[in-house]
Amino acid sequence: MREITYRDALREALREEMLRDETVFVLGEDVGRYWKGAFKVTKGLAEEFGDERVQDTPISESAIIGVATGAAITGMRPVAEIMFGDLSTLAMDQIANQAAKLRYMFGGQTKVPLVIRMPFGAGVNIAAHHSQSLEAWFIHVPGLKVAVPSTPYDAKGLLKTAIRDDNPVMFFEHKLLYSIKELVPKEEYTVPLGVADVKREGEDVTIVATLYMVHKSLAAAEELIKQGISAEVIDPRTLVPLDKETIVKSVKKTGRIVIVTEDCKTGGVSAEISAVVAEEAIDYLDAPVKRVAEPDTPIPFSPPLEKFVIPDENKIIGAVKEVVH
Amino acid sequence: MVTNVMMPRLSLTMKEGTVVQWFKKEGEKVEKGEPLVEVLSDKVTYEVEAPTAGVIRKILAEEGVDVPVAETLAIITAPDEELSDVEAAAEAPVEKVEKRIVASPAAKRLAREYGIDLAQVEGTGPDGRIVEEDIRKNVKKAKVELRVREVISLTGIRKTAAERVSLSAQTAPHITITMEVDMSNAAKLREKFKFSYTDVLVKAVAKALTEHPVMNSTLEKDQIKIFEDVNVGVAVATENGLVVPVIRKADKRGFKEVSSKLKELVEKAREGKLTREEMSGGTFTITNLGMFGVDMFTPIINPPENAILGVGRVVEKPVVADGKIMVKPVMRLSLSFDHRVVDGAPAARFLQNVKTALENPEKLLT
Repeated sequence: MREITYRDALREALREEMLRDETVFVLGEDVGRYWKGAFKVTKGLAEEFGDERVQDTPISESAIIGVATGAAITGMRPVAEIMFGDLSTLAMDQIANQAAKLRYMFGGQTKVPLVIRMPFGAGVNIAAHHSQSLEAWFIHVPGLKVAVPSTPYDAKGLLKTAIRDDNPVMFFEHKLLYSIKELVPKEEYTVPLGVADVKREGEDVTIVATLYMVHKSLAAAEELIKQGISAEVIDPRTLVPLDKETIVKSVKKTGRIVIVTEDCKTGGVSAEISAVVAEEAIDYLDAPVKRVAEPDTPIPFSPPLEKFVIPDENKIIGAVKEVVH
Repeated sequence: MVTNVMMPRLSLTMKEGTVVQWFKKEGEKVEKGEPLVEVLSDKVTYEVEAPTAGVIRKILAEEGVDVPVAETLAIITAPDEELSDVEAAAEAPVEKVEKRIVASPAAKRLAREYGIDLAQVEGTGPDGRIVEEDIRKNVKKAKVELRVREVISLTGIRKTAAERVSLSAQTAPHITITMEVDMSNAAKLREKFKFSYTDVLVKAVAKALTEHPVMNSTLEKDQIKIFEDVNVGVAVATENGLVVPVIRKADKRGFKEVSSKLKELVEKAREGKLTREEMSGGTFTITNLGMFGVDMFTPIINPPENAILGVGRVVEKPVVADGKIMVKPVMRLSLSFDHRVVDGAPAARFLQNVKTALENPEKLLT
């Protein structure tokens, strides 16, 4: 075990999988030896594996995903990076209409072992085009898997599993997570898709949170326990497949749920999780479901306004107190 | 002239108001402009004044009732004017709006599980919502916590007995019939020969069983098996629990033999020295609670047997015989039997046979 960052953990996952399987290759804008990726995740890979397996691409997201999808169906295992997840909009047809549907439409005669890595999220003051959280768009497309790791350990384990998966996996990274450190084993391990992790056990309320919100929820839970409220924090780790069982089990124990996500509230991830709880655990709810999410607004460039719209510890504590009295 | 007093609209958004207080009663006179009733909207309280002078003929909305805007609250008429039936019928009374019980789904589930009426529960959640904790408090209130002093594990004789009596009670439909026996002669015999009542009972039962063989049987699936041997078990209370030593072929043994065998078995039972063999093979059981002052009881059949005889105390009682009241020692017998095997009449005849034998015990000596 040694302490490494989320960024390092992702790089280790890429490197180990590239060593393990020569069909694995990386492509994206500035991922090569000259820029090493916008967030330096691919640093050193071009030097080790050569420019052929770490390919810089033109600035065309549609082309990146089109090429990656083609490579995937012809036997490669591409890991595409989109510099900012917001720009996945430019590749949406390739993602939603091609990558997601090919295996189904060819009756299973082809596989699409493709990973698309994308940094998302607000909090670094880079305005509406580079700060969104678009998980909900992708969970709505059958054929895509969606991973949302919140820690270095989960990031490494999930990326390795995603690369080995025969279906397209949308791999969400949050900009503020890259520098977070954690003890991660040196030895080989993977984290399965569809298994949530209870990040903190508690009795009074279930907090389901994703990505950077996991850390804010843990901080809120730490404050809440001082006030006598014991919160259980669950990180689904993947949204497709979603580990409903762990969430429902927790709600049956606590009787209350607060869902904390950074995406917009309307039609968001929190709406889906709310619906699951309403369908499968309503008889155990002792208070209304509460959502702490972003208001339905573009992320403001103004730092005070940006801070205002992003869920934080105080908003989480406030929501918990509304359901625990 | 009939004038309707209506719920006023106190704001643009007001849909209904609550009747807070009536200042006048039905039949009372009012002047025009006099305060009649206080109503409450979601924003304000307001005193509705009488729109005209007259008599309050009818109040249609009681205090505390929610009434939609423009619905009639009361009817005012001239003092001598009668409210025609037509008008009265047209003014259907405003239905009391039932208050909805607000409870969390978890509270509702718990209430369902424990059979608690939500209407009886006070909600402590936001806006008076009934939450899980409120139901739990109610459950606790309803249940007195029993403190346990000691826990005794079911083992040995107790465990076997527990299994056997429940098996019997659950499978055999029991009927118990009772009969009083005059023990005058038995008492004399007992004095004379130093027998116990139980000795006499065993002999009397053994004889009756030979004459009513269906009572000496067992039920196996669809077959009643009538036993050749008459093996009478006698229940003995010991420190470790109830045991039933068996006197084999009691019908074939003489009175003295039965008596000494019984003595021996009872002693062994008290010392806990009975062998498995001495406790098995019974075809009918006698159980006696007379020494504890019990008159009658409903014994549970000792499986796989089909009948059991419960014996009560021998007590002196006034008895009417030959038109005279006499004091006689009497005893009550309680016969339980499996109704799948025997009906009431043959069982009664068997019991009668036992009674006759006990009342004429000298015949048992031969």
